[in-house]
Amino acid sequence: MSIEEQYRTRAKELLSGGAVKMVIGYGKGTTANRRRPLFISSPDEVERLVLDDVCITNLSGYLVSEGLLSDEKRVAVFLRPEGIRAINILAAESQLDADQIVIFGFDVNGNEVQALKGIHVEEFADVIGSIKEAAPEAAEEELFEKIEKMSPQERFSFWQEEFAKCIKCYACRQACPMCYCRRCIVDSNQPQWVNTSSHTLGNFEWNIVRAFHLSGRCVECGNCDRACPVNIPLRLINHRMAEEVLGAFDHFSGMSKTQEPVLASFKKDDSETFIL
Amino acid sequence: MAKIGVFICHCGENVGAKVDCTKLAAAMGEHPGVAVSVEYKYFCSDPGQESVKRAIRENNLTGVVVAACSPRMHEATFRKACAEAGLNPYLCEIANIREQCSWVHTDNDKATEKAMDITRSMVEKVKRNNKLQPIEVPVTRRALVIGGGIAGIQAALDIANAGQEVVLVEREQSLGGHMAQLSETFPTLDCSQCIMTPRMVEAAQHPKIRLLTYAEIESVDGYIGNFSVRVRMKSRYVDVNKCTGCGDCITKCPAKKISSEFDCGLGKRTAIYTPFAQSVPNIPVIDKENCIYFKNGKCKICAKTCQCDAINFDMPDTFVDLEIGAIVVATGFQVQNNTMYGEYGYGKYPDVINGLQFERLASASGPTAGKIQRPSDGAEPQTVVFIQCAGSRDPSKGVRYCSKICCMYTAKHAMLYAHKVHSGKTHIFYMDIRAAGKGYDEFSRRAIEEDEAAYVRGRVSKVWQENGKLMVRGVDTLLGRPVEIAADMVVLATAIIAQPDAKEFAKTIGIGYDEYGFYNEAHLKLRPVESSTAGVFLAGACQSPKDIPDSVAQASATASKVLALFSKDMLEREPVVATNNEATCAGCWGCVLACPYNAIEQKDIVDRSGRVIKRVASVNPGLCQGCGTCVTFCRSNSLDLAGFTEKQIFAEVMGL
Repeated sequence: MSIEEQYRTRAKELLSGGAVKMVIGYGKGTTANRRRPLFISSPDEVERLVLDDVCITNLSGYLVSEGLLSDEKRVAVFLRPEGIRAINILAAESQLDADQIVIFGFDVNGNEVQALKGIHVEEFADVIGSIKEAAPEAAEEELFEKIEKMSPQERFSFWQEEFAKCIKCYACRQACPMCYCRRCIVDSNQPQWVNTSSHTLGNFEWNIVRAFHLSGRCVECGNCDRACPVNIPLRLINHRMAEEVLGAFDHFSGMSKTQEPVLASFKKDDSETFIL
Repeated sequence: MAKIGVFICHCGENVGAKVDCTKLAAAMGEHPGVAVSVEYKYFCSDPGQESVKRAIRENNLTGVVVAACSPRMHEATFRKACAEAGLNPYLCEIANIREQCSWVHTDNDKATEKAMDITRSMVEKVKRNNKLQPIEVPVTRRALVIGGGIAGIQAALDIANAGQEVVLVEREQSLGGHMAQLSETFPTLDCSQCIMTPRMVEAAQHPKIRLLTYAEIESVDGYIGNFSVRVRMKSRYVDVNKCTGCGDCITKCPAKKISSEFDCGLGKRTAIYTPFAQSVPNIPVIDKENCIYFKNGKCKICAKTCQCDAINFDMPDTFVDLEIGAIVVATGFQVQNNTMYGEYGYGKYPDVINGLQFERLASASGPTAGKIQRPSDGAEPQTVVFIQCAGSRDPSKGVRYCSKICCMYTAKHAMLYAHKVHSGKTHIFYMDIRAAGKGYDEFSRRAIEEDEAAYVRGRVSKVWQENGKLMVRGVDTLLGRPVEIAADMVVLATAIIAQPDAKEFAKTIGIGYDEYGFYNEAHLKLRPVESSTAGVFLAGACQSPKDIPDSVAQASATASKVLALFSKDMLEREPVVATNNEATCAGCWGCVLACPYNAIEQKDIVDRSGRVIKRVASVNPGLCQGCGTCVTFCRSNSLDLAGFTEKQIFAEVMGL
């Protein structure tokens, strides 16, 4: 039985038994290579669930939709390891109760879909641990290496060029599971710290503020990068910040549901190299 | 419509010599919203303040900017003046054009330009300032004094004698601290116990003092005027209410060969014991480590002996919860372990002792009943060498600082020794004789001139044993030659160090400490007895090495601070506190973790039926110190700091 079929069967059992009130998974998209989020609450609908190598969107952000979890019922969700890490962070930041989340874990290796064993977020600790071990190289790509080798001036002009494309649509924010604030700082206009215009200053302000707000929290799922209509390589900024945080504080985001937010917590042996 | 008054102070030459104040006043007068812009030589002077008040009244000013020195200097002065003129004090701001402008620049034109920027920025801020009212918090009129040495006892007695309640907590089984161990005290040579024990008894019997001995502070929560303190009453295994202090159990206890801590290892004690005969309270404790029953499950001789049935081997630790308004920390000091000076042979040769051990030898209540006998064979030493700064002022091995009391007590030791052993000879190796204090230099001169203490200026390099003598090799730097002395006993003037758990304890009560573990005062000169935490005061050697007169003086100073605090029903706090916008708060609790004062709590927002619809952060204004850490952490910008709101800061930045 394929993993897709196994998970359909499990979804059917859970929905018909009332163990979960909803399953959030992937359905067919408009073209052969696109998948769209699917929300089903009836066992009759499980045949619409699709699981294949193009199921890449991190669905964890839907869990914090206002009111979804407030009835304390369970919700099942299809998640890749990054999504599972996101659940840990959302639980650590009190945005959801991890016990309410039933995980359909999977990973894509080449073209092959592999099932990840476990239901609750705690059961995936080993999977997340092995990602941490592989972290330094895993996400790196040619463009990243290229930027790393640039001088600060070159790098600045690289990003200036990239940010020049930004139209301030905030799709990156809407797609990000970590951007759960009901009012984002850019929507606060008394005072207007971040310039709303899509000119150089405003664009820099927005993208840098977002990078800082995600440092130590980003799971590098790539949602923002894929959502960007003008193809700014946002993943590269977030990856760089994740590396900084890992190097400075040995903090790998989403390790457990009790992990303290790195920028709000204090350890006696924190490095103080940034204090002049 | 804003009507801001700008008052530009020359500060004599301090500002006036670099900044063109006339030009600055003219420029500010042009700035939108500024109604008055004037300069004056000294606005902090009485006529200066009067002119500010007059300008406020005559022009109905809505805000005031004083362009002058640092706000740390005169913010309070001008805010008070504004309040007297009927303007809310928080509508007054200081633009610092001295420390950050005139003092640091050489070019007059550029300094004037910068002064304009700084002042304009403040004008823009003041336009957005809000009227703030001081926060009132109630005061619990009960003081907690931690530590039952002379400092703690003095503070407790002073507060109690003024009619306020005191809880005195001591972690050992008796009051007394180090002073109870001393023989005679400098510079008057009165007997330490004779002046100490009456004070101990007075503290114990005082109707306003609740004494908790053999007790340790478990936790401290809350804030000035409203602390909640939990005290662990360590189990004595002796019922305090039944024991009469007859001492029969102590006499009968078969475990008699335990080294006495009070006698610094020079004497012996039993497993059930009081540290010294004049202990207050005179109730023994059982030392679980050395008690035969606790070790082998058999004995209980003390329980059989006790006619009051006071011994209880199953006694658990208990807890006492206290509501406290102010805390005096008087946790004292320790002496450094001298074994790290291998060349002095401490710990290797029994006749090399430290200063505190010599106190026990010289004390009438000590293990030798006041006879100077050397520990190895009990013989009377005929030659004694004292080594000063054995740890102090030695950055390589010991501590960098001067322990302050050693020069004096070494002179005293030499004197006491000369009084008790008439044929004896003393040699004192010293670096400097530091005898600053009333009667101190006269005292050390007396040791030299009347009691023939031979001072040798120089360090000792080695102490070794040869033919039953302790050979001391050093250098006399005044004569420029090496010295070798055959001594019967060597006394090291050991460094005073912070209590080994001082840093941990500082975290429990939330106060700061220096690199050595001594507690930090709020300001070394102007606020020497306040800690950095409001409502927590420091007395005695926990702050820095001190002698008895200094400790007592500081203790009385803390008492006056506590009494001033208790003189009011309500405390006024600066209203510079954070507030949370509950509508936009995402409830991530980052601020709860980030807050160094535990001032942010989680709050449930419930609907009419009591169902929780949202959880948000809530700032306790009594605890908030206005540091702004939460504001910078908050991703949704929901937290804001009164007096430094985002709007104000933004306007300030934009005004530059």
